[in-house]
Formats: sequence, C-alpha cells, structure tokens
Amino acid sequence: MTAARTISFTLNGLPVTADVKPHHNLVELLQNQFSLTGARETCGQGLCGCCTVIVNGKAVSGCLYLASFVEGAEVVTVESLDTPQKLHPVQEAFVETSAFQCGYCTPGFVLMTTQLLEQHPDPDDDQIKHYLTGNLCRCATYPQVIEAVKLAARKRKAG
Amino acid sequence: MTPFELAEPKSLSAAVKLLDPDDTSIRPIAGGTALMLMMKAGVFRPAKLISLRNIEAKYSGIAADANGLRLGAMTTLSALEHSADVRKLAPLITRTMLTLSNVRVRNVATVGGALAHGDPHMDLPPVLMALGATLTVVSPSGERSIPLDDFFTGYYETVLEKNELIAEAHIPAQGTKRAAYMKVTTGSADDWPALGVAVVIEADGKAIESARVVVSAATTKATRLKSAETVLNGKTADDKLLAQAGDAAVEEAEFIADVRGSVPYKRELLRVYIKRAVQQALAGGVQ
Repeated sequence: MTAARTISFTLNGLPVTADVKPHHNLVELLQNQFSLTGARETCGQGLCGCCTVIVNGKAVSGCLYLASFVEGAEVVTVESLDTPQKLHPVQEAFVETSAFQCGYCTPGFVLMTTQLLEQHPDPDDDQIKHYLTGNLCRCATYPQVIEAVKLAARKRKAG
Repeated sequence: MTPFELAEPKSLSAAVKLLDPDDTSIRPIAGGTALMLMMKAGVFRPAKLISLRNIEAKYSGIAADANGLRLGAMTTLSALEHSADVRKLAPLITRTMLTLSNVRVRNVATVGGALAHGDPHMDLPPVLMALGATLTVVSPSGERSIPLDDFFTGYYETVLEKNELIAEAHIPAQGTKRAAYMKVTTGSADDWPALGVAVVIEADGKAIESARVVVSAATTKATRLKSAETVLNGKTADDKLLAQAGDAAVEEAEFIADVRGSVPYKRELLRVYIKRAVQQALAGGVQ
C-alpha cells in the first residue's frame, strides 16, 4: 500500500533517480541513497538548521520535507560547495574566523549563509541574526558566526 | 513516521474529490511543515495524504488591485514576505513575516496551510483576521466565502468540511489604517508565542474611529475581541481608555494554559499588550 516509486531530480548539478516511499523525508533520501551526510536530522522540528538543503534555489528543512516533493526539482547540498582543491568562500570564512567548535551545525550555517548573502550582499548584524534565527549552535559560536558571515560577504564582493 | 499513501492531483477540483467527508485518515498536505511535526510526534497518522503542490499555478500567486490582495492558498510565506504588492497594500503582513518562524519554514509553509491547520500559535491568522480577510473555499459541491472572523471554531478546529479546501484569501488594502502585530515569546525569540495581538485602526491622531483587535496563542483560537473594539471605537486613546480596553479584552478572551504560560500570566500579558499594540499602531504602526 505504500510502495516505493521512482522519482527524477537534479542533485548537485547531475540528473539522478531515486526510489522513495511517501513517508521518507529528504534527509533520509540524501543519506540512504546518495551517502550525502552533510544534511543531518537533529532537532527534527525545523528549528536547528542542521538539515538545511537548497531546493529550487530556496533553503528548506530537509527533515520536514517529504522526499517525494523533490520530483523534478534542483537539489543542492553542502557537498557541492567545495572542490578537492578549494573551499567555497563561505567555508573559508568560517575556518578563518573559527566559527565552530564541534562543527556539527556548520554545514547548515554555511548553506544558509550562501542564501543570506544572495539576499543581503552586505548584511548588518540585525540582518544576519534574523536570517540565521533558525540555526542553532550548541557550542555557542554565534559571535564568530556573525564575523564569518561578514568576512564571507567581503570575500564575495572581492570575487 | 508511519507509512502512508500520497496522491498528487493536478487540480484543486481533483484534490477535493480525493478527500472524503467521513474519513479523517485522508487529509490534504500543502507545504507540510506543520503536518510533518504532527506525523513525527505520532499524533497524526494518516492513511493517505493528498498533496496540493501540483494544483494549478494560479493558487500559488499574489494578485493585487485597488481593493486589496488575492492570495492563492498555496502561496508560500516567503512569497508574501518579498512581494512588493503585499508591502504596498498590507505592510503589516510584510513586517510580520520577519519574525515568523525561520527562513526555511517560510520558504515552504503556505497561506492556506497556516489557516487550515487551525493552530492558535501561528502569526498569520491573527494578522489576516485583523486586516478583515475573507476566504474562498472549495468542495465537490461548489465554493463558498467565509469571513476569517468566523473560520476558527476551536483548538486546531475550523469550519472547513473534511472535503473542503481553501482556494484563496482576500485581504482588503490597509489604506490609511494603522496597524501592529506584537507577540510575546517566553522561550527563545523564535519559539511559539505565549501571546499574539494584532490591531488595525482607523484613526485621526489619537482619535480612534474604528479598531479591529485580535488575540492569538494565549487563547484556544485566533479571536476578535469585539468588547475591546467597542471600548476603543470613537474614543481618544489615552492611558485610561487603553486600560479599559485591556480589561475588556481579558474578560472576553478564552485563555488556555500551556508550557509557554499559565492562564493568569497570559491574562496579564494580554492586558499589557493590548495597550502596547494600540500605542504602536497609533505611533505610525509597523510599516
């Protein structure tokens, strides 16, 4: 009664297919069928941001998003940002400002920051705090995260 | 989550036909951000979900004319947030979006879902109610129009039949009215609120001609507080009047205790925030 069905979508730029059941969420799909573990289900309630995935150019909470909903969509995960040779400027900024301790929440913060900078290329503290209100860091590196976002903005502007 | 079936009809008319007025295990799903929480918690175990994501594109759009806004039920909250028409015709909505949950939820959650879910803690229902919204709802037997004032019947309960779906929300233009929405979060800043108060006021300076006052979160459902409106209408807003309006509001509201506050605490919050919300609106509102 709840048979899997095959869906097609674009994952980090490549066309893919996957077998999903209606009750699977997007994090389960990425982890179990594509071994992408950057998005993790953590709070399970859309509050913490660890499960952030970009779907059709917009950030979503992968743990609150049915896997079936990505049929035909463009899906981007944190794994797409860097190459073996070079980190993404946002990743560089987080490293250079030490904007993490354990690093568990970092993929979500990094993806959300890429989105933040598209909307606010030169963000002030208030814009950063509002935009990242749904990302939690239990090591409490928030001051460093704000510095990282500002550094990433400068790197982005410098090209 | 327990397994379920998923249907993805291509039209609103097909979607309402897939629903069953007598079978509560077949339910619609829009963005799903709220339903997923209920399904994960095991309090909602559907046999079948009817996804509305593939219905006609017109139900995901915002249309504006001189009279106001027409919001398709599948319009996302982030589309509202970034709409120039919404900012111009109902700036109260734009401002409310800034502190409504977070970016990811707003990217997925929909106008229709926020209303049909009947959750008294959500920010959009009191704001749209204070603005005087009317809903168009569709069932296999046709469509009807429901003022949002009459839409909520209780805790997570609405007047919608089980095979009835919201098609559109119509929002009168704010025009010269001044407005404010204030909420109180007792946990983290982005937690569900213990209280929400929305006010939309026609006034000349501090002379109030007419006011719409709505409470949410502290109560079982988003509710217009007509006794408080009666106190305010036709009067000049001074401290004494606002205190009277707060007293009337507290008398009328049906409070509910939860982890965010006891009934006595929420009564006091409402008394204080009626005053603050009216003052903020009259001071130019949240534009």
